[in-house]
Amino acid sequence: MRYYLRKLAFYLVALWAAVTLNFFIPRMMPGDPVDILMAKLQQRGSGVDPSARRAYELLLGTDSDEPLFRQYLSYLGNLVRGDFGISVSDFPTPVSTVIATSLPWTVALVGIATVLAVLFGITLGVFVGWRRGTWLDSLVPATTVLSAVPYFWLALILVAVLGSALGWFPLLGGYDVVLTPGWNADFLGSALYHGVLPALTIVVSSVGGWLLGTRNMMVSAMAEDYVLTARAKGLREGRVMIWYAARNAVLPSVAGFAISLGFVVAGSIVTEQVFAYPGIGSKLLQAVQNNDYALMQAIFLVITVAVLAANLAVDLLYGIIDPRTRTGG
Amino acid sequence: MTNLSPELLEPRPSAGWRNLAPRWSPKLAVGSALILTITLFGLVGPLLVGDPDRIDNIGLTAPSGGHLLGTTQTGQDVLAQIAYATRGSLYIGVLVGVMATFLSALFGIVGAYIGGVVDEAFSLFSNVMLVIPGLPLVIVISAFVPPEQRGSWTIALVLAITGWAASARVLRAQTLSLRGRDYVLAARVAGERTWRVIGVEILPNLLPLLASQFVFAVIAAILSEAGLSFLGLGASSSSTLGTMLYYAQNGFALQRGAWWWFVPPGLIIALFGCGLALVNFSIDEIINPKLRDLRRRVGAVTRRATDPAPSPGDDAVLTLTGLSVTYQGERPVRAVREVSLTLRRGEILGLAGESGCGKTTLAYAVNRLYRPPAEVTAGSVTFRDRVDGDLDILALTPEELRAFRWSKLSMVFQGAMNALNPVLTIRRQLEDVLTTHRPAMSRKARRARCAELLALVGVDPRRLRSYPHELSGGMRQRVMIAMALLLEPQVVIMDEPTTALDVVVQRGILREIMRLRGELGFAVLFITHDLPLLLEVADRIAIMLDGQIVEYGSAEQVRDQPRHAYTRRLLDSFPSLTGERGAFVRSGGAP
Repeated sequence: MRYYLRKLAFYLVALWAAVTLNFFIPRMMPGDPVDILMAKLQQRGSGVDPSARRAYELLLGTDSDEPLFRQYLSYLGNLVRGDFGISVSDFPTPVSTVIATSLPWTVALVGIATVLAVLFGITLGVFVGWRRGTWLDSLVPATTVLSAVPYFWLALILVAVLGSALGWFPLLGGYDVVLTPGWNADFLGSALYHGVLPALTIVVSSVGGWLLGTRNMMVSAMAEDYVLTARAKGLREGRVMIWYAARNAVLPSVAGFAISLGFVVAGSIVTEQVFAYPGIGSKLLQAVQNNDYALMQAIFLVITVAVLAANLAVDLLYGIIDPRTRTGG
Repeated sequence: MTNLSPELLEPRPSAGWRNLAPRWSPKLAVGSALILTITLFGLVGPLLVGDPDRIDNIGLTAPSGGHLLGTTQTGQDVLAQIAYATRGSLYIGVLVGVMATFLSALFGIVGAYIGGVVDEAFSLFSNVMLVIPGLPLVIVISAFVPPEQRGSWTIALVLAITGWAASARVLRAQTLSLRGRDYVLAARVAGERTWRVIGVEILPNLLPLLASQFVFAVIAAILSEAGLSFLGLGASSSSTLGTMLYYAQNGFALQRGAWWWFVPPGLIIALFGCGLALVNFSIDEIINPKLRDLRRRVGAVTRRATDPAPSPGDDAVLTLTGLSVTYQGERPVRAVREVSLTLRRGEILGLAGESGCGKTTLAYAVNRLYRPPAEVTAGSVTFRDRVDGDLDILALTPEELRAFRWSKLSMVFQGAMNALNPVLTIRRQLEDVLTTHRPAMSRKARRARCAELLALVGVDPRRLRSYPHELSGGMRQRVMIAMALLLEPQVVIMDEPTTALDVVVQRGILREIMRLRGELGFAVLFITHDLPLLLEVADRIAIMLDGQIVEYGSAEQVRDQPRHAYTRRLLDSFPSLTGERGAFVRSGGAP
């Protein structure tokens, strides 16, 4: 129980840190983003709406005399209500709506790709570690090359080969534009089809890290006394491998999930850009290119919250698979 | 376990810097070659090629004699661009590598060394930085910095600030473990100053790890910078492999099939990263010697050098004849040399000797638990089964061997701490013996059998639901004994079964073993360095020295008329423990 409370407390601290960072970064940086945004709004033919200005000021800083602490409180209030103002790059959609429409794409893409990469990587790592000294060892340097390849470059190559040259997969987009998004077979099939190359990019780039980490831990675990005991007990190879060696070897991989997820999120932002995928990474870049600071800040927060939530979920899972955390404190 | 290979020893500062030199291997060779070539290309290349920015009207020409790697959309020479871009990427990578490693050392090593509140604070800070996604943060920060102020240093600083946390965590864990080592404690007790202890005692041991973290920081920085530049958010007016790819993407290189424009920059990043990763393998192998390549020897399968000798006498259950075990390597170590021993049904045979004399290796050879590079080079092991008659253990097929293990011969290992799987309950670890060896047994019967055995060794059967870490050392060893007796084996090998326990618990467990042997009639090969203990419990005793048996006889013979000088030395070095206390142990269940 203490373990879970500690984890929960930690993620609350991390969330607070991210939210606060988000509050201070625009205020510390040179330039006046609020004026830029208001100017853009006027270009779009919108009158100076005081409530829009207020939302921007809370997010990005203000030149008024309002004390910083009061701004901070009001900023937190706006966050809780999900009020981030109007997106100028997607005028006149509210920022929260832009995020709501793009987030599911990214969550599905990154989620599915990560789960696949983790499953493949760990399974392969367990086998390569178990069969150490055989030809399988050569898989290790091979997958290392793959993880040293930049995501977006791999994406470009995949598009060039599987998309342009062979024509097996669409070059870009998240679905066939003639279809209307909705819960019907045509649309879902098209979304799945369009998602293959982006997902493949993420899986291929991240599987090596999981493989290597698991393989190394597997090698260490196999030297442990409890594996020797298991062999002495006359258990079958498969049981020794899975329940004694692998069961212990995956623990550090799971504990190190946060680091891997950081890489995956970073990679997927760039990958979305290559595929013009309608996810949140593309929106982030659209926001950056158009000085849509409000959208940018909000997306940073949303990504952070999603990453924190994923890490929290994995930590809770860790509490289940490692009994020592439950009583050890 | 007896550590016979010197490379498995922990690196000590006295062992010096020699240990830190990477071992030469194909991986290291290829890795270094890649890194050197690309670094040289980055350093020297720009001097040899023409102006990378010179615009020509021969846009997008394929590679030819004039332009070895073709031209860009505006007719710039791709090779010249790559030379400059490689230099730019390396520059940022090294810059970030140095800064990030410094930050991680500061927060990881210093925090862990000082401990207390500082460590808590540093560690919390590192962990928070770790879970906040790096690239989105970098993008947000870069987006607020106006392009004209966005130089290489700014980008490098931002990348370093967002990229140090993971390695700080690794360094902290390692420092925490080093901090508790004897030589560090000694230096602290001697009143050496904090910085000196960190610099002299801790840092040299962390060097391989620091090097590995630096390598990772450089790879990560080059990749991140490339990503950032590809998005158009990199250092302005700088030219890196990422900016090249940005222009290639915006110049529709992909759509126009100009592979020579976008393939080479990515390939250089990939090859450089691959080189660094390969070098990192070698560094990893210094940190963790277990990871070194195993060369599996052809014919490593045990071969029988001599025919199994017929078991002498009817009452023998386990007979070793001329058994030799060698650790193969550059300098083969003959750990066990021509050992012949006989274990009679129901007796306790003591095997004594100092650590490193080969007694554990011998114990593992009996049911072929040794692993490469260890190898049985001569001799035989014969097991006379009550039902099946003589079994030549070294000739069993893997499946026969598996079925033989535990059902006829089980083991109690030294240090029950690690002999139990930490993530499975006691029940599962007991039951999987039964599910494997007695598949016909019903679930209910299995449970009853496990509970019965725990009760037999004096552990509350409710402990079946516990995990090993919830039990005391003595209880864990009792569980191990219960596990060893589950299948009513004819022989139990006990390797220092009580060494790690305190004296009172030791006595209790020894009494238990004596009593159980009386009740169940199994024979014990009892391995220990504690000769006085053997004099109390064993029927016969063998003394081992440098892999050979130098003394072999009944307990009384060994005690009263030792023949070998080494035995006499061993006997003289212990205070007498015979008499009353011997009776105390024996009283448990001597027949």
